[in-house]
Amino acid sequence: MATDPVNPVGDELPPNGPEYDGIEHLDHPPPAWWKGLFAGTVVFSVLYLQVFHLGAPGRSAVEQYDQALAENMRLQFAEIGELRPDEATLVRMMNDSRWVRVGESVYRTHCVSCHGIDGGGLVGPNLTDEHYKNTRTISDLLRVVQNGAAAGAMPPWRDKLHLNEQILVSAFVASLRGTTPSNPRGPEGNVIPPWPTEVAEPEAGSGPAAAPQADPAQPTAQAQPAS
Amino acid sequence: MATAVTGSETASVHESPPGELETYRYDDGIVRMFAWATVLWGALAMLVGLLIALLMVMPKLFYELGPNAEFLSFGRLRPVHSNAAIFAFAGNAIFAGIYYSTQRLCKSRMWSDGLGRLHFWGWQALILVAAATFPLGITQGKAYAEMQWPLDIALAVLWIGCFGVNFFMTLARRREPRLYISLWFYIATIVTFSLLHVVNNLVAPLGLWQSSPLFAGVQDAVLQWWYGHNVIGFLLIMPFLGLMYYFVPKVAERPIYSYRLGVAHFWSLVFLCVLAGPHFVHYSAMPEWLSSIAMLFGVMLWMPYWGGLVNGLLTLRQGRQTGITDPVQKFFYAALVFYALATLGGPLLSIKSFNALAHYSDWTIAHLHTATLGWNGMLVFGMLYWLMPRLFQTKLWNPQWVTLHFWLATVGVLLYIVPTYAAGILQGVMWQSLDDTGRLAYPDFLETLERTIPFWWMRLIGGSVFFLGAVMLGLNLVMTWARKPAVYDTPALSAARIGRGDEPAPASLTSPLADKPVLEFAKRLEAWSRFGWHQRWERRPLKFATMVLLAVGIPSLLALLPVFLVRGNVPTIDTVNPYTPLELVGRDIYVSEGCYNCHSQMVRRLVPETHRFGDYSQAGESAFDSPAQWGKRRIGPDLARVGGRQSSAWHWKHLEDPETVSPGSVMPSFEHLLGRELDFDKATERVAAAHRMGVPYDRELDEAPELARRQAEEIAAEIVSQGGPVKHGQLLVLNSQAVALIAYLQRLGVDLNRPAEAAAAPAAETTDTQSESVTE
Repeated sequence: MATDPVNPVGDELPPNGPEYDGIEHLDHPPPAWWKGLFAGTVVFSVLYLQVFHLGAPGRSAVEQYDQALAENMRLQFAEIGELRPDEATLVRMMNDSRWVRVGESVYRTHCVSCHGIDGGGLVGPNLTDEHYKNTRTISDLLRVVQNGAAAGAMPPWRDKLHLNEQILVSAFVASLRGTTPSNPRGPEGNVIPPWPTEVAEPEAGSGPAAAPQADPAQPTAQAQPAS
Repeated sequence: MATAVTGSETASVHESPPGELETYRYDDGIVRMFAWATVLWGALAMLVGLLIALLMVMPKLFYELGPNAEFLSFGRLRPVHSNAAIFAFAGNAIFAGIYYSTQRLCKSRMWSDGLGRLHFWGWQALILVAAATFPLGITQGKAYAEMQWPLDIALAVLWIGCFGVNFFMTLARRREPRLYISLWFYIATIVTFSLLHVVNNLVAPLGLWQSSPLFAGVQDAVLQWWYGHNVIGFLLIMPFLGLMYYFVPKVAERPIYSYRLGVAHFWSLVFLCVLAGPHFVHYSAMPEWLSSIAMLFGVMLWMPYWGGLVNGLLTLRQGRQTGITDPVQKFFYAALVFYALATLGGPLLSIKSFNALAHYSDWTIAHLHTATLGWNGMLVFGMLYWLMPRLFQTKLWNPQWVTLHFWLATVGVLLYIVPTYAAGILQGVMWQSLDDTGRLAYPDFLETLERTIPFWWMRLIGGSVFFLGAVMLGLNLVMTWARKPAVYDTPALSAARIGRGDEPAPASLTSPLADKPVLEFAKRLEAWSRFGWHQRWERRPLKFATMVLLAVGIPSLLALLPVFLVRGNVPTIDTVNPYTPLELVGRDIYVSEGCYNCHSQMVRRLVPETHRFGDYSQAGESAFDSPAQWGKRRIGPDLARVGGRQSSAWHWKHLEDPETVSPGSVMPSFEHLLGRELDFDKATERVAAAHRMGVPYDRELDEAPELARRQAEEIAAEIVSQGGPVKHGQLLVLNSQAVALIAYLQRLGVDLNRPAEAAAAPAAETTDTQSESVTE
């Protein structure tokens, strides 16, 4: 590089090899940190394979997901266990603001695209007024969530949500009644009696409610003994 | 292009014996042509980029056009932008730089002027046709490989037959015994991209403008990301490193810092890069061992990437007491800094836990634009400013603008990437956060979108500033060209012809142990450790190219073949059936509209993700997805389990005007699908084509149109009974193309929980898929 006479290369090393169109190369050793990090990533890779693919069981992505999901389910529902899909549970949950909040989270994940963010209705009906299309009792809300309604305009959620989620979202929808959305859809369906304020819990272990998943097609039947 | 070609080289030079002086002249005309194309296409790529960035913040920009807005929808324009940036801007820049530097590094004119011009005009025609086909909805639906099969063939012919042949023949006729580092990178680019392009585009044509990939599901997805990652690696990294190795020492007038670092990082890059691709789909239905390999190769790539950084920066900086004042050198300096950032981001993104956060988000967009704007853009600008006075043989029209452009470009890139990285992290955190009760902290997807929009505005400003700088470069180019001499001076040069492989060992290989009392073996070992073997490879371009092919081919085969040959890697699911004829036609619409540009179809094995979208996707579920539409981004929500979550009437309204059901949505209207008649007879050939690919169809082969019509009637009846319309304009809903798309959407993800045929008794209802996890 004769073109830089002031400071030829600033270097003690002679050029390595010929020049190419005026370009020369020196042959500095690569910086120590470069070699160290490169070696480090290779060592890391070997260790990673050892730990995650040749090591103890329980470390595959599926197993880790299952563990995380079980942990998450405990966090969410350890306190309430498996809810029974009956009227008493719905009323109890509707009046418990902590669990209504969980129901609201389900609602905001899956329901807002038809019923609106505040339940005022978009293509789906308004859930805040006194008029209901497919519902006469509070248990009917759960039935509609599970089985859908209006020729599939309301899709069934039975196999898409956890049973607790189905119950809690129904309880949240029940709690929407009487709120004032910003842009409500007009009334549809009939005026129905107000929700019960308190319902006696059925005897534990009695009736079909003990096996809540046994016949999900008829959840209302399970609620009968309570009322 | 004015070129004073004298053609003195072609006459009788090759008969001269080794050692004899030969004269030759460089062909800079072809470089000028590619330089013009670089600037023009670069401006177009950026303009389309700005347009689609604008569409994201103003989705109703083209609503007045009504159904004609279909040609300007985000899903169709996004491939125009990405393909223009990669193949038109970066592509032409690579060609300009390679045609300029290869001649000089080989002391030889390019082998064939004619082939070079065929390459040039063919490439520009290819880009034009591609840019016209994407807005028409003609696409293969694979990322960065959207070009339909006739264009793929043209690209392969141009790349291999024109560019590759011309390049390698020039190497064969070179008058420089050894290949300089830049040429290694060019060789790797040409060889590897040929391989990637051909394998990823293996399709069975269905007419002129449609095709079906040979593979489906996991296998197609593996190929897509093997290609998708390496098209970046081997078109945006490798050739530009080659250009860097030529232009940085030229511009800085300093020698390259380290030869052995060059060898080490070149080969480690070539070897490691090809397997890092599947990190695009961590936690997915991809076999887990492949996901881990991709992560580890990605992590190991960090230092090989940064080898180029060290060599580039230290070449620029060595022996300097003061900062860099030359604006052209500043461009290269900035390019290397952004290269550092981009190639740190890649390994980071390949780490599973970080990928869980950043993948599908705007983080990847920031990452990619750090590379394309910061690294490729700045480097090309620096290269062009350095080339302009030399190509046009006059002074640069406005040198002050170079400094101004440098600052505009730097500020532009930063204004683009900083908000976009931030948006990506924000999205990732919002999507993956659970609150203290274990529920999604941000359950409403639209809310997460809404919070991103301010960042999209900032990004738009950054992109505009960057574009403004590029316009200044364009003006400088035009004005400098206007002052060119009437006839370009093409000096005759002379160099000795080289023999073939019979030269003595280079002086640099004589060992310092030569006259020491040590074993012959020690001397050889010493020469080997100083890359004596590599210096021999550098004298044999064909051997070098073969070694590159082996270095990329062997790991590719080892990783890809098991996915194609070992059944256990792609488990099937009994309840997953082929699509119905109508759904198949609907799927074609999904691909053609480019829905995958905004929607993924892959719920990953992450708890927040399954809370939001439903059970994680399994390998067998996409068994009939050809091409796989796993997607790479979530501007909208994942669609892998969208089937049955909304009513068909909802979908109809959503396609007509998304905002009526999703206030704040940035999805374009697909009203044109609503009013366009569906050709049921087309289902016959579509089913037959899928059958040829091995999809088990039976009675669908003969009755496809009837079956399709019957299903369309069912869906139309559903839409009506759910409160939707009977007609759209004059067209009955059941005859609308939208119905086919809705049929496809309603099918997505439902097969997994469908009761198996054998146990189809009414009592065998599916249980809730997550309930078994509740304990205590």
